[in-house]
Amino acid sequence: MASNGQTTTTLYKQTLLTGLWRENPVFRLLLGMCPTLAVTAAVKPALTMGLSVIFVLLCSNIVVSLMRNLLKPHLRILMFTLTIATFVTIADLFLKAFVPRMSETLGPYVPLIIVNCIIICRAEACASKNNLFISIIDALGMGAGFTLALCVLAGVREILSTGAVWEIKVLPAWFVPWAALSMPAGAFITLGLLLGLVNVISKKRT
Amino acid sequence: MSKIKHFIEQSWLLIIASFFFGLLIATANTVWSPRIEQNKITKINNLMSGLLPKAEKFELAAELQIKSSKGKKVKSNVYEALAERQCLGWAFNCEGPGFADKIELIVAVDKNFEKFAGYAVLASNETPGFGDRIKLSYYRQQFVGAPIGKLEIAKTGDAEKIDSEIVAISGATVSSEAVIKIINSFVVQVKKQMQEKGLIGNGK
Amino acid sequence: MDTLDTLLMAFISIVLINNLVLTKFLGICPYLGVSGRIDMAFGMGMAVTFVVTLSGTMTWMIDHWILMPMNLEVTRYVCFILVIAGAVQLVEMYIRKFFPSLYESFGIFLPLITTNCAILGLCLFVNLWGIDNLPEAAVLSFGAGIGFTMAICIMAGIRENLNMADVPRCLKGAPITLITAGLLTLAFMGFAGMIK
Repeated sequence: MASNGQTTTTLYKQTLLTGLWRENPVFRLLLGMCPTLAVTAAVKPALTMGLSVIFVLLCSNIVVSLMRNLLKPHLRILMFTLTIATFVTIADLFLKAFVPRMSETLGPYVPLIIVNCIIICRAEACASKNNLFISIIDALGMGAGFTLALCVLAGVREILSTGAVWEIKVLPAWFVPWAALSMPAGAFITLGLLLGLVNVISKKRT
Repeated sequence: MSKIKHFIEQSWLLIIASFFFGLLIATANTVWSPRIEQNKITKINNLMSGLLPKAEKFELAAELQIKSSKGKKVKSNVYEALAERQCLGWAFNCEGPGFADKIELIVAVDKNFEKFAGYAVLASNETPGFGDRIKLSYYRQQFVGAPIGKLEIAKTGDAEKIDSEIVAISGATVSSEAVIKIINSFVVQVKKQMQEKGLIGNGK
Repeated sequence: MDTLDTLLMAFISIVLINNLVLTKFLGICPYLGVSGRIDMAFGMGMAVTFVVTLSGTMTWMIDHWILMPMNLEVTRYVCFILVIAGAVQLVEMYIRKFFPSLYESFGIFLPLITTNCAILGLCLFVNLWGIDNLPEAAVLSFGAGIGFTMAICIMAGIRENLNMADVPRCLKGAPITLITAGLLTLAFMGFAGMIK
């Protein structure tokens, strides 16, 4: 009995950590690139987007896991899409009601969570095959990994392009901000360099 | 009959889920939409209070259709700024093409439509560090007290002097010009339509 | 003449100035994945153009003729994604049946396109920009597809050459593609302000 309990806890821990580093959706799986580039001009929108994705991922994984035994194979993508679209609509309404300025900054990228490959991939690969608890942990792990990746990218971009993080000035006045980083071109280049860095780090580990 | 039965057999989960999700969305919408509406109103009110700080409240005076410089008809709401039932000035929204995307502004004028009280940027997508500076006070200050008429852009000059010449932001000529063009084209039409409606005095 | 002018401006603006891939970050996943060879890139681009023109027009019609008059705007996202999924299915079946040779060249990409952010993104942008007439919506959708095709073909051409260049090992693959995309975006920024 004890060894069973131990395997389950290690399994949970592994599932959680996988989403954070080994299979980080942005840096390793290269999923969900569109919002990553669009909202990471500053840390605040990046964090808001990350939390919204965690919410949608959690809810969709829970619902899909609960109905995994009732799904008809040829209708399942439709069911997933419907579920995700519903929760994204709810998240969008929530953002519009409680943080309107962030909702404006994020703009059309909140509904684009519906087609974010991460959520539909997790629903397909994990939630439709595993029980409720593992699905929840997987959602939390992947969501946390995604939020982490977004915040790192946003942190780099915001510090170098405005000298401030979370709108608090960090760099001294003599630093001339690199405004290009807050524009689309800078987004691509920063992400490319960060991905290269992640490759270097993971090569060193193995 | 069996075709319908087969259909229901295959998709009963879909139908039930659709109902359930529809209910969820409808609930969220009913609960939160008053808040969302309030947020929109608060945002505009805050911007207008920044431009006409002495006003106690703003009342919607007219909804006008203004032709923007692109030829499109744009809806412009004109608000009257009131303090102790006296009109302090007017504020209306306008929009037009900027350098990158469209620029939306709120422009405030004095009560006779003679001088500007300033403008605030509602939405814009200009180049950060350059065109974005239309949001900064050192450019906006030049409009406070400027005469309504044809505002002109000037490359150099005295920014402190309040007249119809506006000194452009260095490195952002197009954005600066866009703001002036939008304000010029809207204020003339708004003033004319307000006079036609009899809301402001004639003879100007 | 005036309408033709507006439509032409709208087309140019969405292909060059507000290019969906390079300035609005839509369609990055297929952009990174499929831009290895020019023929595949072109096939993907054509498939996207097909689907996006159809979906853009249909979602505009549904939005303006059904959702707004009946005050059902809150169901907008659900309706849009269902319409897009349905449109992709229809297009795939239609092409497979009537144009089998066409299906050979770009049919395999069609199921991938449903989760392509470019399609849903365009439908949402058309909504956000307040486009209020059908011809402009159709032109914008078509232009978006053409812009995507153009961006992905340029990228494919560059990547084919990059294969022979000495890219550092850690940057091989996605990182160097992203950096190239960034430089492409910088180049396209020159088009901004073209339309007054």
